[in-house]
Amino acid sequence: MSNRTLPRLLQAPAVLLLLVWMLVPLSMTLYFSFIRYVLNSLNRPEWTSPSLSNWRGFGNYNYVLDAKDFWFAVQNSVFIVGGILFFTVILGLSIAVLINKTFPGRGIVRVLLISPFFVMPAVSGVLWINMILDPVLGLNGITVEAINNLIKDLKNLPIIGSFFSLSPELTPMSFRATQTSAYAVIIMVTWQWTPFAVLIFMTSLQSEDQQQKEAAILDGATSWAQFRYMTLPHLARPIAIVVMIQSIFHLSLYAEIEIVSRGNGNKNLPYLIGEFANNNIGAASATGIFAVILANIIAIFLLRMVGKNLVN
Amino acid sequence: MSIVTEKSNFGRVYRPIIAWIVALLFFFPIFWMIFTSFKTDADAVKPEFLIFFKPTLDNYLNMTENYDYWRFAANSIITSTFATSLALFVGVPAAYSMAFNPTRRTKDVLVWMLSTKMLPAAAVLYPMTFLTKNFLNIFDTHFLVIIVLCLINLPIVIWMLFTYFKEIPKEIIEAGKMDGVNTWGEIKDILIPLAWGGVASTALLCFIFCWNEAYWTVRLTTIDAATLSKLIEGNRAPEGLFFGRLSAVSTAAVGPIIILGWFCQKQLVQGLTFGAVK
Repeated sequence: MSNRTLPRLLQAPAVLLLLVWMLVPLSMTLYFSFIRYVLNSLNRPEWTSPSLSNWRGFGNYNYVLDAKDFWFAVQNSVFIVGGILFFTVILGLSIAVLINKTFPGRGIVRVLLISPFFVMPAVSGVLWINMILDPVLGLNGITVEAINNLIKDLKNLPIIGSFFSLSPELTPMSFRATQTSAYAVIIMVTWQWTPFAVLIFMTSLQSEDQQQKEAAILDGATSWAQFRYMTLPHLARPIAIVVMIQSIFHLSLYAEIEIVSRGNGNKNLPYLIGEFANNNIGAASATGIFAVILANIIAIFLLRMVGKNLVN
Repeated sequence: MSIVTEKSNFGRVYRPIIAWIVALLFFFPIFWMIFTSFKTDADAVKPEFLIFFKPTLDNYLNMTENYDYWRFAANSIITSTFATSLALFVGVPAAYSMAFNPTRRTKDVLVWMLSTKMLPAAAVLYPMTFLTKNFLNIFDTHFLVIIVLCLINLPIVIWMLFTYFKEIPKEIIEAGKMDGVNTWGEIKDILIPLAWGGVASTALLCFIFCWNEAYWTVRLTTIDAATLSKLIEGNRAPEGLFFGRLSAVSTAAVGPIIILGWFCQKQLVQGLTFGAVK
């Protein structure tokens, strides 16, 4: 066998499988996005099966762009992803710097910190919304109740009580409304993905130039100056990678939203696609194509960076 | 010895304290879940902290009765194991040929493989349902779940294996060729033993991702091939708030995977950043 056929033969199964996996469903989505295709229609039964004679051109796209839900979903997707990114990067950086030096029990601290990342999204959603964030039965409600009782007791104390006489009764926040359940999603995903950011920043911190750092300390640089002018520039690339990888993952967030917000109006693009797909496949497909475009814009930057690294 | 040691009070005294507090806070939800799993359902829904209670194992003992746990767990084990094996079976030869016989296009192929991972799943959900239900008749079968789990993780598997294989000196493989070993022999007798650690951690990570997958496994199954993700998702609004038993089944679903995860935290960075962070 020639020098070139064998390598190709070894790669062929992987390449073919991925090619089919990518091309077949995606081209079907593209096709459905240009035709009228609904699952249930009493008036127009011909629309219930995919056919070229139901051609609609860009009609589905226009329909989706005009839907109020679409813009809300786009906005909400960006809000949720932006919120998660903000908190995971800030928390990830702080924690990585915090545990980058040796101290007693560092190994255990690492193990405890990484654990949330391995919790399956379904469990994370059920656990947070029911047992932690619930305003009555969850820790959220229990804690607020405990604080209220404490204040009530303090009010009855002789002298100190007067300081608390005006303090109002606290009410726990409910995370089941449209807007607040988006916060709930941000909280639970931040909890799951901060460990990921910590791991990556820590890996990167370990390759920081120590000699340069020692020189800076001898020159009297403060800890903040070291962080700002040496560590942060060193971490620019890992930060960019964390941001891009998380954007791609979280733009397709689904399980958490399904668990937290079923039917309360909080939705992102994948969730909206799911809603359309209950009946209007044409609109669902057009929304899907928009989601693909959105993900691709980010993916192109990420792939460039990863590809560049491959050469070195 | 390095002079970058902690001189300030902050470093020596407060750093460990703050680090421990942060770590315990992050672990607390998992701890609370495990803690609640030992309460009776009546104790678990009491709106108070309830630190002292009579612990019970009933929630674990009744898992089969309450949730049919083992059927879902068996499906998770079967699909994750077979999907991981299949991904390695397809991925090892591909990564081998990319690492040791690279062509001009190898880099492009690798980057393209990654790009398949970035396709939003929701965009192709309906075609997948349509194809598997109406056309191929494999909806809700182990076969379908195995294939899908294998495909969504194949890019990461190939990428990780590739970075491990690249570190093996080419001469060792060439020497095998000189001795007349065929390709299969090279992979089985030379490559795998040399890169054993890398292959094992790739397999472990792939298994974890398969186990936790919650989009396709929920959408493409109903009963027969439903995994643990589907079981938990189906109980998202617990009937009558059975926090105790729900905690027990959740703990059983994530416990083994968290422990497996501890063993491969180092490889996680490589697997998730595609070797872009070192």
